[in-house]
Amino acid sequence: MNSNRNTVLQTDCPAACASPEARDIGLFVGPSAGKGLDLLPVRRVLLPMERARRRFGGLLAGALALLLVSCAPAPPQAARAVPRRVVSLAPSLTEVVYGLGEGDRLVGVCAQCDYPEAARRLPKVGGYLSPSVEAVLGVRPDLVLVVPSPGNRESVRALERAGIRVLVAADRTLDDLWAGIAAVADALGVPERGEAMTSKVRGKLQAVRARVEGLPPRRVLLVVGHRPLIVAGGGTLQDELLRTAGGVNVAADAGTAFPEVPLELVVARAPDVILDAAMGSEAGGRELFAAFETIPAVRQNRIVTLAPDALFRAGPRVGEAAAMLASAIHPEAGGS
Amino acid sequence: MPAAHLTRRRLAATSALLAAALTASLAAATLIGPVRASLWTALGPGGEHTPDFAILFRTRLPRVLLGAVVGGALACSGASLQALLGNPLADPHLLGVSAGAAVAGAIALMAGADPVSPIVPLAAFLGALGTVAAVFLVARAAGRTSPYAILLVGVVCNALGAAAIMLVNAIASYTQAQGILFWIMGSLSAQSYGLVAVAGLYALAGAAVLVRHAHHLNLLAAGEEDALTLGVEVEAVRRAVFLASSLLVGAAVAVSGMISFVGLIVPHLLRLILGPDLRLLLPASFLGGAVLLVWADTLARTAFAPSELPVGVVTALLGGPFFLVLLRRALRRSAP
Repeated sequence: MNSNRNTVLQTDCPAACASPEARDIGLFVGPSAGKGLDLLPVRRVLLPMERARRRFGGLLAGALALLLVSCAPAPPQAARAVPRRVVSLAPSLTEVVYGLGEGDRLVGVCAQCDYPEAARRLPKVGGYLSPSVEAVLGVRPDLVLVVPSPGNRESVRALERAGIRVLVAADRTLDDLWAGIAAVADALGVPERGEAMTSKVRGKLQAVRARVEGLPPRRVLLVVGHRPLIVAGGGTLQDELLRTAGGVNVAADAGTAFPEVPLELVVARAPDVILDAAMGSEAGGRELFAAFETIPAVRQNRIVTLAPDALFRAGPRVGEAAAMLASAIHPEAGGS
Repeated sequence: MPAAHLTRRRLAATSALLAAALTASLAAATLIGPVRASLWTALGPGGEHTPDFAILFRTRLPRVLLGAVVGGALACSGASLQALLGNPLADPHLLGVSAGAAVAGAIALMAGADPVSPIVPLAAFLGALGTVAAVFLVARAAGRTSPYAILLVGVVCNALGAAAIMLVNAIASYTQAQGILFWIMGSLSAQSYGLVAVAGLYALAGAAVLVRHAHHLNLLAAGEEDALTLGVEVEAVRRAVFLASSLLVGAAVAVSGMISFVGLIVPHLLRLILGPDLRLLLPASFLGGAVLLVWADTLARTAFAPSELPVGVVTALLGGPFFLVLLRRALRRSAP
């Protein structure tokens, strides 16, 4: 049935189709479905819904549902039931659910969901971007939280076909985080806690900003992988957090989110601080740059190894991540 | 010209010409890059403490040299495999030899070997050797190898290799899997002179063995019966060529991951110009392969600067169409 779509969209109906989730679902539906929608007389489709669904697949039905929700009266009470059994398929969204104080509703998480400690004890239902549809269905969820990605698109469609309600929330940037918190809080029926959480996290970021205010911004390179050398580029959460922490990302213009760059670029851009968040190699970064004493970060021994996990999640810990970055970039500003 | 008889003078003249081309390419490629660096500043008084020196001689030159070693190794092993298997479509990558090397290297990494140690090239060499032996045994079962047989064996070996790599990835820990994946994807970036030395040693040893057996390999390529009558110890030659070409592929894969088509393009172009005599073709392929990969990598470094492309993308884009033309010719010729 389509009621699952209706419910999810209904949850954020006031924001109508401009809400990020609607955009994300639109992303799954694809432009061709929208085109098909224009061609079909609405009345004909409204009645034989089931037939249309069979003919055009769940995609079109989803798009129709979206249309219906924005124009039709609210569906019956039963469809708006607050979910009791929630599966989260992203580490960031798992942290949001726990942060809202609703962790006990989770009945399954992804293999990479490792925070907080309680999440580790929950049943694992597959990888972050490669969930197991069977395992998800096996824990009988009434709401599944996912991030939009080509990797999980087919699994998400399969879940929806099985009648499971799915909430898609992006987790790339701070704006994604604010929208994600609101959407998850709404879906769980605790919108006021979502607002509280957002202002708490915003406050932490503001505190970091205040800590580094007036200090000269330092040129920073954030390393994500050593061989090949991969760094955080512009338009990423990491770039936003670096700016919050009083840094200037020297790779912000590299074109992609996580570009592979040549070592000579690092020499040429001469960062004041190198933050090494590459996984599983504490000494690797120092060794890689050790020979280049013309780089200020090397000469002044400002190569700092960071634990990557909190830094790479648009979750409620971004404030802590920004504080960690600020301590690494401006150690003279003192701890938080 | 192609059929010209090989004299000592012609060998010397051709080798000198190609060596000069390689030297010029090395110099030019070192001066071309995404970042501006002045040779005069680098070599001027106190030059070794300038960023220009670090860019030119600590990052760009080792990378260019490594490209030369890898390109030479791949082209030389391609030329020898084509002669040994009597098949113009033999290429270390297409035959799955590179995949075999990558699997063995990945296993060594999983067992905890340091990516920069000589252990990984050794493991890659053994993996390449096993695959060459398997290709030979299967392809020879039908007597003289047909293009179909050899390509199918290659397809199977590549599929097996890909599956084995995925298996290793599934078993390895999360951080290890990341490292292994990047290692396989390969890159010439972030390299050191130490790595150039290790790879160069392996590659030169392999090339030397091949050149020493070039005369016998010539006779063997003309026909096994004839070679036996002329007193060639066929099995011994075959074994030596197996070992040497595997050593070359192992060295290349260990330091740069999987780079396709160099072993196909270079020997073919040179055979058109120089004729099929392996005494000339093998050293010429080494030098020509070095030139090709140095320029392919220069393109990879600069095309989307400051991000860079994996060099394998460039060689595949050059080599794919080339291979299709060759395949069409080979199939036409083998048609009744």
